[in-house]
Amino acid sequence: MLSELLQGTDTGAVLIIQDSCSYSGQHLLKSFISAALNKEEPVHVLGFDVSEEELKDGLTASTQRLHFHSAYTDPLGWTNRSAFTVHQFCVEELTHLLKQTSHPKPVTLVIDSLSWILRHMSPPAVCKTLQQLKKGGAVRAVIGLLHADMHQRGTVGSVCHLATSVITVAPGTKGDEAVAKITKRSKSGKVTQDEEIFSIKGDFSVTVVSKTSHAGRRQTEPEEQQTDPTANLTFNIRLSDTEREAKEKLALPFVFSKEKKTALLQSGPGSGRILYEPDANDDYDQEDPDDDLDV
Amino acid sequence: MFTELNSILNATPDSFTQGEFILVSDRQSDASFLIHHFLSFYLRARCKVCFLGLVQSFSHYSAISQRLGVSLTQARERGQLIFLEGLKESLSILIPQETTTESQAMDFLRDPTVGLQRLYEFVRSSVSSDGGGEEGVEEWGPPVLLVDDVSVLLSLGVSAGAALDFSHYCRATVCSQLQGNIVMLVRCHGEEAEDDGSDEGSEWLLKGLTHQCSLTLHVQGLPTGYCRDIHGQVEVCWRRRRGDGQHTQKKLFQYKVHDKGASFFAPGTSSAVL
Repeated sequence: MLSELLQGTDTGAVLIIQDSCSYSGQHLLKSFISAALNKEEPVHVLGFDVSEEELKDGLTASTQRLHFHSAYTDPLGWTNRSAFTVHQFCVEELTHLLKQTSHPKPVTLVIDSLSWILRHMSPPAVCKTLQQLKKGGAVRAVIGLLHADMHQRGTVGSVCHLATSVITVAPGTKGDEAVAKITKRSKSGKVTQDEEIFSIKGDFSVTVVSKTSHAGRRQTEPEEQQTDPTANLTFNIRLSDTEREAKEKLALPFVFSKEKKTALLQSGPGSGRILYEPDANDDYDQEDPDDDLDV
Repeated sequence: MFTELNSILNATPDSFTQGEFILVSDRQSDASFLIHHFLSFYLRARCKVCFLGLVQSFSHYSAISQRLGVSLTQARERGQLIFLEGLKESLSILIPQETTTESQAMDFLRDPTVGLQRLYEFVRSSVSSDGGGEEGVEEWGPPVLLVDDVSVLLSLGVSAGAALDFSHYCRATVCSQLQGNIVMLVRCHGEEAEDDGSDEGSEWLLKGLTHQCSLTLHVQGLPTGYCRDIHGQVEVCWRRRRGDGQHTQKKLFQYKVHDKGASFFAPGTSSAVL
């Protein structure tokens, strides 16, 4: 499902990538940008978290159609040098910004990151803007990065409720693999969920390593498959049926079986006999104290 | 300067990664020994250092740097080190006198809701060098900002959001524009709780700064308790990597602080044990 999302989004789509401190969603965001550029679509990036150089670093696709609106150097207007401040995040300003460069194809708007905006503007205002962008015709799709551990659960939930697809990334078990939990809402109202393990290569192309519908099931599968130890050997250690019977009949040397017990208890001919004459001081009990032992 | 830490971070005073935001954090421990390391490291690397010493006096840092082989007084005299002594400056803000012409960097003490814009302006004027044409002024290397520490600002009434804005602006100016480095110390108390983002305390500030930084060094006590020979553990985490290797790399070390330095070793290989 991750590959489908990378390939194309329908009009009015809002995709949110949720990340946390343990795994940054920046690289996946760059993969989406790279995929859109490869399809020759214009991409506008509102950069709050990263500088232009850092975003363009490593993108091999032609950056001619990538328009970076830097809100990184001065997002709050402290130095009066800002291209875009955080308070300009509303539909009117954004439409004005996007109209400055004209495109034949519909625009994909990438917001890096929504957390910056949510820190300074109220969540209802941000949700309103996102909803208007979704409905309006200025952009075809919006892709946003959200640091889920920086906001209240309610805020994260509200923003993700607006989205048509949500990808939550977390670190995977192996080095450069990560786990993505994807929730996709189609226009008909159907919701599909999926969990995939993916890795991102140097040129920001995504390879889906495996799909897991239930993470727990993968762990029990290797235990169910038992490997046959007699296979793949250069000699034969398999048993035929007669050999198996003979093996099971064999009496092991140091096991105290019933035959041995009777042989020991009954003294054979010529073996020594013990005669016991109890003394007056001896406490001779006729009963065998060891009688209850099951030997 | 701790030589073992230099080899762990792959940095020498002659060659180190520029444009890095290093976050030093601790939980119920004291990571300030790392601040002394970075201070002496960057002074030896002939960088222009701006140090915001908000928790200790200048003589404190000077005495410790003396043991590490660097003289802070000399560095300040020749213009390599710009030291904001937070404790002294705050007195001039709280008890204003006519003779004070100090910078307004600690202005947030009067009104914490204003934010840290003045402090940022102080940092910007310190790190941007404009003495290139003068004679007799030495050319220093890339600028470095050291902050000890950011969490004390929360105790002074500054909101965590304002502290994050300040660190963002510093990063934009020092790291991206001037290709310098930043080292910030954040201290957390208590256990790592599921704050749910509602309580904007030091844990929330730590998370926000972790998202911004490129290298974290997290200092904690040993999970098994107090030990005389091993003072704690350091978790080094490389976050942003350009070009090769997209994944974050984490390494864990144990350390012991000596009189003139600190030694770092892999867990279980302390000299007391082997």
